[in-house]
Amino acid sequence: MFDPDNPWMKRLNPVLFLFPAMAIYLVFAIYPTISVVEYSFTDWDGIQPERNFVGFENYQRLWGDRIFWQAFRNTMVWSGVIIVLNVGLGLVLAAMLARVWKARLLIQTLIVLPVVISPMAVATIWRWMYQPTGVINQMLEQVGLGGLATPWLGDPNVVLYALAVAHSWSTIGLSVIIFLAGLQAVDEDLYEAAKIDGANPLQSFRYVTLPALRPVTAVVFILTLTQSFKVFDIVWATTQGGPIRFSEILSTYMYKRGALENDYGYGAAIGVSLLVIVSLATAIYMKIQTREDS
Amino acid sequence: MLGRYLLIFVLGIIGILMAAPLVLTLFTSLKPTTELVNPAWYPPLDITFEHYIRVWTEGGFSRYFLNTLLISVVDAVIMIIVASLSAYALVFMKFPGKALVQLVFLIGLMIPVTAIILPLFQVVRSVGLVNTHLGVIFADLALAVSIFVFMFQSYFVGIPKALHEAARIDGATEFQIYRRVVMPIATPAVLTTALLEFLWSWNDLLLRLLLLTEEPMRTLSVGLLNFQGVMTRDVTGLSSGTIIMAVPVIILFLSFQRHFVRGMTQGAVK
Repeated sequence: MFDPDNPWMKRLNPVLFLFPAMAIYLVFAIYPTISVVEYSFTDWDGIQPERNFVGFENYQRLWGDRIFWQAFRNTMVWSGVIIVLNVGLGLVLAAMLARVWKARLLIQTLIVLPVVISPMAVATIWRWMYQPTGVINQMLEQVGLGGLATPWLGDPNVVLYALAVAHSWSTIGLSVIIFLAGLQAVDEDLYEAAKIDGANPLQSFRYVTLPALRPVTAVVFILTLTQSFKVFDIVWATTQGGPIRFSEILSTYMYKRGALENDYGYGAAIGVSLLVIVSLATAIYMKIQTREDS
Repeated sequence: MLGRYLLIFVLGIIGILMAAPLVLTLFTSLKPTTELVNPAWYPPLDITFEHYIRVWTEGGFSRYFLNTLLISVVDAVIMIIVASLSAYALVFMKFPGKALVQLVFLIGLMIPVTAIILPLFQVVRSVGLVNTHLGVIFADLALAVSIFVFMFQSYFVGIPKALHEAARIDGATEFQIYRRVVMPIATPAVLTTALLEFLWSWNDLLLRLLLLTEEPMRTLSVGLLNFQGVMTRDVTGLSSGTIIMAVPVIILFLSFQRHFVRGMTQGAVK
């Protein structure tokens, strides 16, 4: 029966090999994905057995929901800030790191290390640092900038940016190592040629490094965008969207409506909007990535 | 030459700033309560482990720690097995519907966990696994399996087909070839999978918040969140809890830095 050339075995083998992963994957990932779309067309509260098909009602409500749009805008601002930091600053850091030999591994380790820290731990650390009497305000006072001190997470104008900085602290390392890998692929001769033409380091960065890194930059950009859209943990564990929704993002709003307020169908509609945005961005990312590889 | 020193100087400052949040948290966790009046950047003068002991025993972190460790290790082990088996089928076997299977796995790369948690909870509830570790493990596996199938596939593709053919001619079954020929060569992919899946599982909050509703089952992430909610002013306790959660992954990272860096850039989609 276990004869490998037995035609039955030949047909059965792929099924046996694929089954464990596929079974788990279809039940706990694909089915919920289909369900979230289905639920978004119902008025289900998530508890009672009965649910009614309501067509596009949830989406119409979404369209007219001021809080949804505020969460959407916040998610955009949040992603924008993180892109500036992770792509812009990340590139500068990588370019600087690529030019030093001594102490490079040490500094690189310090920059990448926060990437493995759990968002929950990141949230706890930064919540503590951002307190009105926390270390950041203490520092500002110490250097004579006490006027800038503010209750970072309680200030509606600052909270979103403050959280974006915390998130960026814990993710920028990933951008830096992807950029570093890209920089190692840049032809050294180009720098030599630029030097001979009399370019200063800034000019060679502008005219050699940047153009050569364009594909890698696209990858980091889309990656940062998708990652920042998916964030939940750090916001939930610090402000839960507050004060008065100034740090409400799509994922926290969905969790509140769907899981806590039993407005399940509506929460599902928010989930679908998140699904559409993230999967579009991921599809673009993979497209660039595969073009890179070939 | 001056430029180079300036560069190292600037990078050094950035390095210190990146390390500061963790170092300050470590300082606070080791300070006796009387030293909390000092600014946060003062190192502890009289190092004490009382906060760790308090959080570990009264705070329930010993249980959270074991729960988290259990889920993460099981996650990593099962992930290695199921992802490599699927990748093996996709690389070394011929069967109808292969393109479809490949496409279905591809979709998994695009599903954000956050978007599907509501129905995911329903599914876990309907199979009776809410508030069990098994429910969390299934959800973890399902939501990351695609990435690791692709990781193993890209590794298996590099294995010479002749090696596989030779084993077939010797009369080995597919499973024997998988076990004795292919997997031993794929050790780097196994290690990367183990490290990344362990890390993601260790760090996740959302799924655990949703699926582990009762105290004895909770993990470090949920434990820390609740502790933060109840003990808002317990700065030393929170710092100790944070360090307890961070230390295992920091040690793993420092020991396997190169594998982590390669894995994180590959598995960046998640």
